[in-house]
Amino acid sequence: MELRLTATSGLLAGSRGWRGLAAAHNLDFGEYGDWARVLTAPDEARALVWVVLLDDFGPGEEEVALAALDARLRQHLTVPTLVTWASADPGSVLNGARHALPSRAASQRFETALYQRAAQYSALHILCLDELIAESGKRQFFDARNYYAARARLSVAGIDGLAWAIGQMLERIVVPPRKLLVLDCDNTLWGGVIGEDGLEGVRLGQDGIGAAFQDFQRRLKILAQSGVLLAISSKNNPDDVAQMLDRHPGMVLRRADFAAMRVNWADKPGNVTALADELGLGLESVAFWDDNPFERAEMRAALPQIYVPDVPGDVVDWPKALAHDAAFARFEVTAEDRAKAAQYQARAAFVAASDGQLDRLGFLRSIGLNAQAVPIDASTVARAAQLCAKTNQFNLRTIRHSAADLLAITEEPGNVTFLTALSDRFGDHGLVGLIIIRPAGKGAAEIDTLLLSCRVLGRYLEDWMLAEAIRRLQPQGVRCLRAAYVPTGKNGMMASFLPDHGFQARANGSFEADCESIYCPGAALYDQAPPV
Amino acid sequence: MTKPRLSEILRDHFEGVEFDPDAPGLGAGAFEAWDSFAHFNLLLLIEEAYAVRFSVDDMTNLKSVAEIRAALASQGIAA
Repeated sequence: MELRLTATSGLLAGSRGWRGLAAAHNLDFGEYGDWARVLTAPDEARALVWVVLLDDFGPGEEEVALAALDARLRQHLTVPTLVTWASADPGSVLNGARHALPSRAASQRFETALYQRAAQYSALHILCLDELIAESGKRQFFDARNYYAARARLSVAGIDGLAWAIGQMLERIVVPPRKLLVLDCDNTLWGGVIGEDGLEGVRLGQDGIGAAFQDFQRRLKILAQSGVLLAISSKNNPDDVAQMLDRHPGMVLRRADFAAMRVNWADKPGNVTALADELGLGLESVAFWDDNPFERAEMRAALPQIYVPDVPGDVVDWPKALAHDAAFARFEVTAEDRAKAAQYQARAAFVAASDGQLDRLGFLRSIGLNAQAVPIDASTVARAAQLCAKTNQFNLRTIRHSAADLLAITEEPGNVTFLTALSDRFGDHGLVGLIIIRPAGKGAAEIDTLLLSCRVLGRYLEDWMLAEAIRRLQPQGVRCLRAAYVPTGKNGMMASFLPDHGFQARANGSFEADCESIYCPGAALYDQAPPV
Repeated sequence: MTKPRLSEILRDHFEGVEFDPDAPGLGAGAFEAWDSFAHFNLLLLIEEAYAVRFSVDDMTNLKSVAEIRAALASQGIAA
């Protein structure tokens, strides 16, 4: 990233402390103390890092600073502006014996002003250094000698810490947090080996190391509530793990807290890949936590896209290490994040429940499948465009329609277009399917788009969508439906879709069928099954 | 841990610049890259490398390699 840095005092440009950040980004420090000019410069379109040390502000300067920040935020709505700031030195804490320390009141005022702006401008990111400084200590972070020799308040170690924090923030602006954390069991979720020590022998809860494992689970639960999915990959007997999840009184996490599990004796890279597939996530969304250095090394070597943190050697350090891990930190936790976790859990429950059912159709009939056709309009077009952009597997032609295209297509006469909402007893899955059929000459039409989110595969929803589309085509006098499969390398599951549904291959490689002879048996599984 | 020679620190710090680190009279301003910022950072690197601490006056007065070497020698360090 092209990065402009400015500060209320010197930043030791070119110091060893900046090396890590300079390796990843192009740094421009400008001139000493040029923050007011840079913030108000209309043509400064690079990402901006503004380091504010409240000790540097004279009387009235805070208002000037906030006004300059407002100018920057108004002018650059989409370019990141990062304000990284630290409180002023409080002096003797005895001054706070009867009244709030003046430095603390000033910090609160400044912080409130920053977050008011953050609520208004999504490009603003705030990084308070106070906590970071507390970790290493002010003596480490600052160096008064540098201030009087070079007008820079920070030590080289301080610059190092500042640069690290800036780098973390910039990475999160670009790279989303990890969505799935896969966990080992023995000596990770509890102390000891359940297969040897038994339910009474493992260490979990009460005092000592057992309490640390339990706190680690509490931290995992907090992560899960912020939208991170949890899963298990462990080498155990499945019954042992089930006993722990269902019966051990010390467990904070229960079966329902895990979106999916692989408990077997197979290698973990294979299991973690299967878990990611089952949940419909790419490996770059996955993290892996295991106490065993061998398993971690194997995972890093086999699947470098997966984030494998260096787990501290002592479990007492785990709760904090997990809480501080930036890989899971997110700028906002929306209601959607929470709903998403529940949707993935619903998906995993469906997969797990259907695996045990020999009579698959009987199972599907028993889960209350309900589909609804939903028109593409201003309120749904964003989701339709997102489905076009993201759906790779169950996608007949993989045309990446934009929102504007989709609205235009919906307006055209003769087109049959709708999104599909699905619910069943595993949950409300939201808008998960899209079909677009366009006229193709007299009495004929052609499938432009047919796609389904991979979260809901295996329910024959495609049959319902196709049948519903045909029901809508027939009043228009459409007798014949044409279609083509466009292979992309990711949509192999669609290769036999057309012949399976009664389409006949034509000489030019496309397919065709009389609407009467299109075969959609799965549509009958749905409560709202149209009469086809 | 063996401490690096002062000439090695100079070479690392001004990577990509052609110069003789043992040239007599070498110091701040000897070439374009050796500006006041680079000089300050050089002194910080030397502090780290030899685990010494320079005063405010040292940071502003030590301009040449010879002066730096003498300041280190006064703290018992041969660089």
